[in-house]
Amino acid sequence: MSEAKFESILRELRETAPLAPERLRDRVRALPEPGARRSWRLRPALAAAVAIAVAVGIGAAAIGGLTGGRHQPQSLTSQRAPGMQRGLHQNPATPAPEDKRAYSYQSGAFLSPMVPSRSRLQNYAVSMTLRVRDLSSATKSAVGTTRKLDGYVANADYSASSSAGVSILELRVPVQRVQQAIASFTNMGTILSQRIAIVDLQASVDRLDRRVEAARKIVSELSGRTNLTSDEQARLEAAKQTVGRLSLSRTRLVREGAYAKISLSLTTRKPAAKHVTPGRFDRFWGVAGDILGKEAIILLYALVVAGPFVLIAALALLTERTRRRRADSRLLQEAG
Amino acid sequence: MAEEHLDDVYRYLLYVTGNPHLAEDLASQTFERALKRWRRFDPSRGSTRTWLCQLARSTALDHFRTEQRRRRREDVYAAEPAASDEPVFGEGLSPTLDAAVRSLSASEREVVVLRVVLELDGELTARVLGIRPTAVSTRLQRALQKLEKRMVSDVRG
Repeated sequence: MSEAKFESILRELRETAPLAPERLRDRVRALPEPGARRSWRLRPALAAAVAIAVAVGIGAAAIGGLTGGRHQPQSLTSQRAPGMQRGLHQNPATPAPEDKRAYSYQSGAFLSPMVPSRSRLQNYAVSMTLRVRDLSSATKSAVGTTRKLDGYVANADYSASSSAGVSILELRVPVQRVQQAIASFTNMGTILSQRIAIVDLQASVDRLDRRVEAARKIVSELSGRTNLTSDEQARLEAAKQTVGRLSLSRTRLVREGAYAKISLSLTTRKPAAKHVTPGRFDRFWGVAGDILGKEAIILLYALVVAGPFVLIAALALLTERTRRRRADSRLLQEAG
Repeated sequence: MAEEHLDDVYRYLLYVTGNPHLAEDLASQTFERALKRWRRFDPSRGSTRTWLCQLARSTALDHFRTEQRRRRREDVYAAEPAASDEPVFGEGLSPTLDAAVRSLSASEREVVVLRVVLELDGELTARVLGIRPTAVSTRLQRALQKLEKRMVSDVRG
């Protein structure tokens, strides 16, 4: 068949295309008018969801960031050393870690109120953390200083790795020389934290002395007698035991008060970044970022959890669509 | 909306079914459906004409499915188009061409009506039929070749 003939067939099909019968027109005209269309669109809906999420973040930031209280920075000195919970704590305001002079023994500004009493027996405990350059030599120096001051090392824990090392020393130094020891340790590196706790032992010692004295009186009184009753004999024995027990306790207390406990931590670790209290707007953006981040995490979590199910559903839908299309095609072939 | 596209919908259904009365009924059903679904129609996804053609197609397919079930149940062919000398696919259409169109399958006729009579482009036709534009071209090519063969054999016969 020629091209022209073919064209004429197509033209004929177009030109003689049937018109809808009047009867059908009447039926369609009789149908009611359609209502207003609902315009649900995916993109505006998504944009609205994102806008709401951002608004929630910024709104919460405005409430929490602009009106909320300032965050209190946590300092190393707020952590109490173990064994220092009781008694008299003296924790002077800690200067910036790099400010060595503030702690300097020579300046006297910090250590003078902490000088141990010469008249009273005290439990003197010092806890110090220092950043040093050479951990090994600093440890040796600390041990050497302690021995020079007639003290001793009660416990030592030294660990070093390629990145950082820590040496923890439990030292005992005669109380009267503790200031010297602290000054010496301070010069070894940079102070990261320092804590001094003093517990008065004198009252306990005085109390023990009174009790020992009373027991001794009983012992001397009963020892002078010749014929003791069984009760008196028992009292004498009990008094003697009390004298022995209390004397031992007193000796222990006095020994405890004679030496200051120094817990010295030496580290090569870099200091944490200096805490800068954020401003109003920094907090605002920080809180907004946190909330938006959390929203993103929730969204991601939902996607991860729902992802496989959505994928399965999509595959099932696709399969069903393909099957239906093939079935429709077959149906139309058969209908012809 | 109905008045504007009524002829197109009717033509499409007439070509698919090959039966003017059935096409009339299905066209009416199509507009009833369109009325019910009008609120959900999204013009950004296609023109009203394309949407109506899609609705008409699903109406026709639903009818064919029902018929198929009925045939299986009753084992009779009740909806055979009445044999008539009047051309079905257009007033004034030559009997040879009408017979040739009638010899095509419904799926071939629907691609002819969409591409030739309603003059939809390949993209829109593909959207109505739910297939790729290349598949539309192939199907149209085959249908026209079949039409041509039938015409030639009729002329010789």
